[in-house]
Amino acid sequence: MARYGMALDYKNCINCKACEVACKEENGVLLGADKHRIWVGVNEIEGVWPNLSITSSSFLPSQCQQCDNAPCEEVCPTHATYYDENGVVRVDSDKCILCSYCMNACPYDARYVDDRTVTVDKCTFCSDTRLARGLTTTACQNTCPTKVRTFGDLDDPESEISILLKTRDHFSLKANLGTEPKLFYLT
Amino acid sequence: MEVEISRRRFLQGSVALTVVGGTMAGTTALFSEEEKASSASPRVPKTVTTKTGTGKAEEIPFLCGMCVNKCAGFARVEGGIITKLDPNPYFPKSRNMLCPRGNAGIQTAYDPDRLKYPLVRIGKRGSGKYKRVSWEEAYDAILNGTKLFKGLKQILDEEKDNRATIGYCNGEGLSKEGFETLVGQKLGSPNYVDEVSICLETAGGGFFATLGVYPEIDFEHSDYLIISGANRAEAIITPDTMDMFKRTKGRGIKTVCIDPRFTNTAAKADKWLPVNPGTDLAFVLAMTWVVFNEKLQNEAFMKKYGVGYEEYKKHILSHKYTPEWAEPICGIKAKDIYTIAREFMNAEAPVYYPGRRSIFSPNDYQLRRAMAIFQALSGNIDKKGGYIYGNPIILPPEYVNAPIYAQAKPRFDTEGIAFPTLKSGSWIVFRNMILEGKNPYPVRVMMMRKHNPMMSVPNTAKTRKFLEKMDLNVMIDILPSDTAMFADVILPEASYLERTSPVKSYGFLEPAIVQRKAAIKPLYETKEPEVIFKELAEKLAKPLFEISKKYDKDLQEQIKLRGEEKVFEEDGWNLADAWEKPVHEKNKEIVEKAFGPKAWEILDEKGVYYPHMEEYHKQLNPNEFQYYPKNRRFYSTMGDKKRVICKYDHLATRGIDPMPTWHDEWKFSVPEGKFRVITGRHAQFTQSGTTNNAMLRDLIPTNYLWINKGVAKKMGIEFGDMVEIKSEVGQGKLMAYPTEKIAPNQVFMLHGFGSESRGLELAYGNGANDAAILKDDIEPVFGAAVMHSTNVEIRKV
Amino acid sequence: MAEAVTNEGIVAKVKAFLATIPHNKITLRDLLNYPKTPVNNFIALLTVLFLAFFVIGVGNYLIHGHEAYGVTREHPWGLLIAVYIFFVVSSTGLCIVGSLGDVFGFKDFEVISKRAIFGSIVTILSGFAVIAFEIGHPIRMLIWNVLTPGLRSAIWWMGTLYGLYLTFMIIEFVFLLKHDMRRAKIFGLIGLLVGLAAHSNLGGVFGFLNTRLISQGVFYPTYFILTAFITGIYLAFIMMGFRYRLNFPENIRKMLVGLAKIQGLLLAILMFFETWKMMTAIYGGVPGRSDVAEHILTTWPFWAEVLFGMLIPFLIILKSKGQNVTGMFWGSLIGMVGIFFMRYDLVHDTQLKPLQMMETRVYQLPPEWVHYTPSVTEIMISLGGLGICILLYYIGTKLFNLDADTEH
Repeated sequence: MARYGMALDYKNCINCKACEVACKEENGVLLGADKHRIWVGVNEIEGVWPNLSITSSSFLPSQCQQCDNAPCEEVCPTHATYYDENGVVRVDSDKCILCSYCMNACPYDARYVDDRTVTVDKCTFCSDTRLARGLTTTACQNTCPTKVRTFGDLDDPESEISILLKTRDHFSLKANLGTEPKLFYLT
Repeated sequence: MEVEISRRRFLQGSVALTVVGGTMAGTTALFSEEEKASSASPRVPKTVTTKTGTGKAEEIPFLCGMCVNKCAGFARVEGGIITKLDPNPYFPKSRNMLCPRGNAGIQTAYDPDRLKYPLVRIGKRGSGKYKRVSWEEAYDAILNGTKLFKGLKQILDEEKDNRATIGYCNGEGLSKEGFETLVGQKLGSPNYVDEVSICLETAGGGFFATLGVYPEIDFEHSDYLIISGANRAEAIITPDTMDMFKRTKGRGIKTVCIDPRFTNTAAKADKWLPVNPGTDLAFVLAMTWVVFNEKLQNEAFMKKYGVGYEEYKKHILSHKYTPEWAEPICGIKAKDIYTIAREFMNAEAPVYYPGRRSIFSPNDYQLRRAMAIFQALSGNIDKKGGYIYGNPIILPPEYVNAPIYAQAKPRFDTEGIAFPTLKSGSWIVFRNMILEGKNPYPVRVMMMRKHNPMMSVPNTAKTRKFLEKMDLNVMIDILPSDTAMFADVILPEASYLERTSPVKSYGFLEPAIVQRKAAIKPLYETKEPEVIFKELAEKLAKPLFEISKKYDKDLQEQIKLRGEEKVFEEDGWNLADAWEKPVHEKNKEIVEKAFGPKAWEILDEKGVYYPHMEEYHKQLNPNEFQYYPKNRRFYSTMGDKKRVICKYDHLATRGIDPMPTWHDEWKFSVPEGKFRVITGRHAQFTQSGTTNNAMLRDLIPTNYLWINKGVAKKMGIEFGDMVEIKSEVGQGKLMAYPTEKIAPNQVFMLHGFGSESRGLELAYGNGANDAAILKDDIEPVFGAAVMHSTNVEIRKV
Repeated sequence: MAEAVTNEGIVAKVKAFLATIPHNKITLRDLLNYPKTPVNNFIALLTVLFLAFFVIGVGNYLIHGHEAYGVTREHPWGLLIAVYIFFVVSSTGLCIVGSLGDVFGFKDFEVISKRAIFGSIVTILSGFAVIAFEIGHPIRMLIWNVLTPGLRSAIWWMGTLYGLYLTFMIIEFVFLLKHDMRRAKIFGLIGLLVGLAAHSNLGGVFGFLNTRLISQGVFYPTYFILTAFITGIYLAFIMMGFRYRLNFPENIRKMLVGLAKIQGLLLAILMFFETWKMMTAIYGGVPGRSDVAEHILTTWPFWAEVLFGMLIPFLIILKSKGQNVTGMFWGSLIGMVGIFFMRYDLVHDTQLKPLQMMETRVYQLPPEWVHYTPSVTEIMISLGGLGICILLYYIGTKLFNLDADTEH
């Protein structure tokens, strides 16, 4: 029983979207612009050519924040969304009735509808693929050219991620909502 | 419960807007219903993506073939289907990573539009009408022709065994040398063109001429970086991309990005300076002036290694290449030029990034020379944090027993070129001289492989005419590209995931040899390239030998002396003898001979080998590996052998400036109402070869035209509006992307789109083809294509 | 065998019980037998058309799934949710109106109790008919709602309570038909309380959305009750208007004038609430709320809501001090159009602000406001819901005596 989390050294990100493709190939995610479990966000650059603000256009890789206090889990009428034994927020597609409440409740736009099962799908930290095979990295972490992500057990004080979080400053997205994300952005 | 979401449906969902109409050309076209149905053969997955399983699987080491980098990976194969491509943690060059294209390689292998069977043309050229034939029939069509086209035998007979009547081309790849062996050495054609003259020929050439190396960079220890033109965040190169961006943004490397366009690389830089296209040379010369003027250079280093150093100093100072002089030319403020030059020279380990990108301006060779010299002025060469010469692992050379063709004429594509390259020539000059009738003998055949000049060589209209002019076009490829549509015989090749390729050596600082192993057997009726070379060679050997016998006096002589059989076998006329052993077996032989059986074992299992690998290689943390311990890396290998050729007199003998010199004809200007079109890459596409990849197309549905927001507003152009882009050589239609990231007098479009081949479901008619719009200008040293010299008109349609 | 016998026994008992409920024996012929006035013909034709829409819409949904809808990742709730809310609000409203007489004992309002309670059953059934095709797996919902109840989910409470509510309403209606006013009152009260709980939970579905600042908070749960009452009164006018073809007997007129006066007060309160909601949202300056509120002011459905749902009916009431009941019949029809927009706005405005404000594609405009256009299929199913509602109500008027029992 672990408590999985992820640290993102987001300044490394070059917005190549290798993570998005690796995720889709690993987890058999459907194609289509709306059907992504993970993504890289970019703000529209500020300024007028040639005086552009470099800092306004930084890249923010993102995915399900694997909240410890997940609004999606709270609003699910059938407990289809649940925390698995490793604290990963998962969807049981046999229980999901597709009321879409979770999609509306998730502050991170991390959920979408899988057209095959007609249920809500999201990032699983590769729990049913890579982790189930005994691997210790997610597809997105493993493939990243600039190694943005570090995935690991937050409960293990010796784990790389625990050490990173102890030694480097970090922030969470929309922390004011009290969702307690297990994705940490290193600064 | 699982339903198939077909590519077609995906297309309707998100891309249909950008795909213009047009139905398949009848049932005789490439892809009849029957052929589509058989794509559901057991080894082809039913869905676009396949979730990986938890059961039994093979992990086969491969080398990526989505671009030129050759990153290493492991293909996960479950039940005969490749379900995932994972990075290979053993290869120091690609450092356990695969980029988006690398990850999407599965979609290339399983592209339903793949060439699946040998095809012989039965309709007009370009009509897309082909007949499915057996391999034997296809080889026979190459040799003997059909009703519609002549075969090699007749053509060579008519040309009296002048093998130079065969032209050939091949894009970059591990089997390229085999094709050169087949057509160049075995069939005896000197007329070879490839990607070099439409890529970075002058970059390599300029650096070689100046420093004797096209160096690697040690980003781990450098602390200041000027990167001009090269867009490493989007045109991903390993290991540069991975190493560079871990240390930008205030984390070790101060970065100055010089690019007309605000790229993702610019977004990672500390400073972005939009330069006028093609004027970087003025920027470098002005920085050099600052250095000499303020004596910031490493004088001792230059005194020791510089050749013509004092003359160069005098040259720069006397030409008064001041920042104030450069400012109006390159558009970079004099103040910035002073600052950057000083910061660069004061830095501990500064790097002026040497490449890598296509040639943008006619002065590119001189620009590279100036860059190399500027770097040398810092003394940061052949050492930690600087330019690295390294110590590449040398594989034992292979010998090809090539026949000598007395009747074969030499190549002729030298017009307007100071230093023609003997090996790969100049695509544009070769093509244009033939079109203009300046070829001294007829060139009647194009043997082509994995190359799409219709979309890669500037001025597509001319390429079309060139291909139409040929009596026989043969294409070996995996997809029905625009160029393949001009072929008379199409031979379907196994994709890179279906073939074992010749072993290859990579890397300077941390060298290794790598092997691509077939993850699955060739799909459909495709064959590995080396098998095709061999079979074709077998088919052609005897009949063409007969033709040589008829015209080749030397051969007749030899036969008289030694007997036909002996000459045929001993002098290389047996064309197939270069492929006696399958690739995998040959790799084994080479590696075992050079490094012993243990090395082969490691290479065959892990895809990578280098001396002491088992001892050196270890995982440092979840993301990082050590390939070589620091004290074993080849930071400094040249000792006193290195030279900095500031003044290269040999150049002057052919009218090229021996020292980088600015000429005002290179000034950037665009007539009122026009735009300079510039091209480039995004991380999600390589070339035309990746635009039919469903996964990548999902990320970027089409190529948009970047146009300055203010200008677009004035022209009434909004995001997504269809615009026509028109130059003096061609035009295209694509959607507009108004943005602040480009100058008012420039437009940008992504390379590789706008295919006209109906066989490519996703790529056909999608976006615009930059090659159709770019003028076929060349630079004077090698005759390589210049990409950023075309002005265009933009019109909302 | 024994079990089968028991089952048969139960069936027989149920049959016997049903026989005790007063109702008219009707045939299809009776249903087609209505005064053939142009208006009636038009309504009949419209109903048939709507029912056909329903069949086509549902068919299209069953073939294409949610792709037949205009809903997206950013806007997962569409028109059908709005229509569902429209119906269940109507139901709750009618329940409140019906309870005025037989639960709270306001004698004047007893004349509408039975009709209103029946209306509340009909409307909620229509709502369920519509939502069944919005929720991806309604059958699965019935199973897992019971097996693994999500007790922290407002949707669970809303759905479960509405299920109970429907049961109580039916029981109340049966007792009303059977003139058992004591039991009717008991079940009416329970039904009303459950209905109010269910309905405020529906408001809570939105109120709990912490990330949707425009909806988050106490406003919707309370406002839902208020607007339900308003909707109930509108529907009371419409039902009575049709029942008496605008020729109201005195007792009905008296009751309607009373309702109109209540409606005037309720509309005033609603407008007051709405004004303060927008004021606090806009001047509060909280990003995600003030910008959304400001944007809402620029959208026409909002003004349709205000004009049709509040202002016009309010002015009609104000002008005649509630005496113009015929005017209020028309005002109520307009009011219901406004109420529809009120539901649509509620759903759409909640999702107006994208949760992903960054560009996630290389070529896209920066996310601004989430756009949603109902698909033809969604519109067809929605109109189909209205068709079902009219049909069920019409059958009810034939099957039962929905007028108040004159002697008691």
